[in-house]
Amino acid sequence: MDIFLQQLINGLTIGSLYALVALGYTMVYGVMKLINFAHGDLVAFSAYVGLTIFTQFYGSNALNLVNIVIVFSLTAIVVAFVGVLLERLAYRPLRTAPRLSAVVSALGASLVIQNGIMLIWGPNMEIFPSDVFPATSWNFGGVIISFTQLVILALSAVLMIALYIFINKTKMGTAIRATAIDQDAAKLMGINVNRIIVIIFVVGSMLGAIGGLFIGIYYRGLTFDMGWLYGLNAFIAAIIGGIGSIPGAMLGGLLLGLFNAMIAGYISTEWAETFTFILLIVILILRPTGLLGEKTAEKV
Amino acid sequence: MNLKKLTGALALSAVVASSLVAADTVKIGVQAPITGKYANEGQSIENFVKLIADEKNAAGGLLGKQIEVITCDDEAKAQKAAVCAKKLVNAGVIADIGSYTSGATEDAQTTYYRNKVLQTSDGTSDSLIKRKYWTFFRNSFPNSSQSDFTAEYMVNTKKYKNIVVLSDYSSYSAGLGDATEASVKALGGNVVFRGKIKAGTQNFTAMLTKVKAMNPDVIYYSGYYTDGGLLRAQQQQLQINADFVGGDSNDNPDFYKLAGKAAEGTVLINFPTPEILPYEVAKKYLAAYKETFKMNPPSIWPVTNADGLRAVIEGVEKTNSFDTKKISDYIRNDMKDFPGITGPFNIRADGERVGAKFVVYKMKNDGTKNVVSE
Repeated sequence: MDIFLQQLINGLTIGSLYALVALGYTMVYGVMKLINFAHGDLVAFSAYVGLTIFTQFYGSNALNLVNIVIVFSLTAIVVAFVGVLLERLAYRPLRTAPRLSAVVSALGASLVIQNGIMLIWGPNMEIFPSDVFPATSWNFGGVIISFTQLVILALSAVLMIALYIFINKTKMGTAIRATAIDQDAAKLMGINVNRIIVIIFVVGSMLGAIGGLFIGIYYRGLTFDMGWLYGLNAFIAAIIGGIGSIPGAMLGGLLLGLFNAMIAGYISTEWAETFTFILLIVILILRPTGLLGEKTAEKV
Repeated sequence: MNLKKLTGALALSAVVASSLVAADTVKIGVQAPITGKYANEGQSIENFVKLIADEKNAAGGLLGKQIEVITCDDEAKAQKAAVCAKKLVNAGVIADIGSYTSGATEDAQTTYYRNKVLQTSDGTSDSLIKRKYWTFFRNSFPNSSQSDFTAEYMVNTKKYKNIVVLSDYSSYSAGLGDATEASVKALGGNVVFRGKIKAGTQNFTAMLTKVKAMNPDVIYYSGYYTDGGLLRAQQQQLQINADFVGGDSNDNPDFYKLAGKAAEGTVLINFPTPEILPYEVAKKYLAAYKETFKMNPPSIWPVTNADGLRAVIEGVEKTNSFDTKKISDYIRNDMKDFPGITGPFNIRADGERVGAKFVVYKMKNDGTKNVVSE
């Protein structure tokens, strides 16, 4: 039983990271019907930005709460700025172009960010200091949870709940949902669609930035192409949950992490990825729009 | 006495002759990467060979003849290696020292064999002795020797009961992992789990949690430091009370950075660095090297090549001839525990160097390493 619970914790930790990143994919898709392939690289970029701020401002000493909040906020702001720049330069000029052009532009933007990281920070591995969070951990009858894991799980949950309330209970959230349903109708209702899209990119990039920082703090080793690994998994999580659905991205991320941990733990570590994706294909066969995807017919 | 002349057409090669009359010299070739990615290793091989040749020449030469060193730059490339082999054979060398990489060595092997020229290299690939050429002998140790040493350390020295062997999927790491598993079993050790991780995926907690249930005494990892450091960190995070032993590719300062505090107590098994070689003859030659070239050799490999040359010189003197077949037979069959710079030098009948010496390091909490006495 303790092994099962440990695998549960393992799966939920990595699952939360996937979910945070997946939210960025699903929000952009929901509003613009565009797969933002550059999002994974933006996540990698935020890990590097976070590392630079850590080492520049605070050395590699253990940080107090105020400093951590400052570092997280600064990173989120920098990455949000880059996210908005990305929208302005790579996607807005192609808003009325065929969908394939925007996808190619997204892939190009992904390569630009990835190579940008390599040019700024170099091709070698950069390493996060190991004592950003205290190394404390708790043992509940054989199940071990570390302070870092607890922060990841708790903060991810808080952010996701906050996002859910923002989208469903606020006026701005209503405007975002309206834009997602029909951009032209939203415009006629007096909604500034450009502004909504900028907000989507700001929120999505900030969540990705927090995810990227967590990845850096938890796994430490940063490589310029790591965005591909986390981006791909998060993208799949978004599809499983139903791309365009915000609760779907959260669910998809957690499920992907859990499947992977359980299969690796109980069936085969070598085949974990293969079995995970077979299971995911089965889900898509049974529910082509994803678990929580909208069942509406394609717009004509 | 030193007159330097450049051989006309081939600008890359320099000939240093320490003699006045050509007929009174015996030629030794150096085929090594003097330029390119491994230039520092190749240049160090050339330096070491010259150091030993100069010492011999000052003491009256080899059977009365001065040693002339001819260097050819193979850039660690297959094509250049074949050209170099031809060039050195045509120049009339009795033996070639090098090359540095297994690949460049293997591509030159046949040429030396056909022309009855001795060849000795530090290449560690097991395939180097597969062709059974009498002209070739290895001056370093093959990859497979590391698994035997590691198994001996884990099973007999540390007496671990439950051994977990992990690797990644690369041919180097998986090969070393498989070989170590086999060596442990051959010594009667118990491998409770043999797993492979995908390098670069960063999250190894699922596999480690599975391993935890098997109550391992030691986790051995044969892959690279980028994953090894994370494995060690996550092992400690999951509170798996097992020792961690890493293969030679974990020996990198970044292992300590990745593992953080968990790095303390990690055991690494690697070839010795030249500075810590304990032998008298090693201290003498490394001091001479440092004095002449104002630096230490970049790794152990130029030093093993120097031992290769010293074995050839020993063979010439003991057989009192320059007949390469006789020298080869002497090195393989009659030479026992020749005092090499890198330890007792023994060559098996198939050209393999036996009696591998590895070093066991233990990491301290400040990122430095201790040599563990066995």
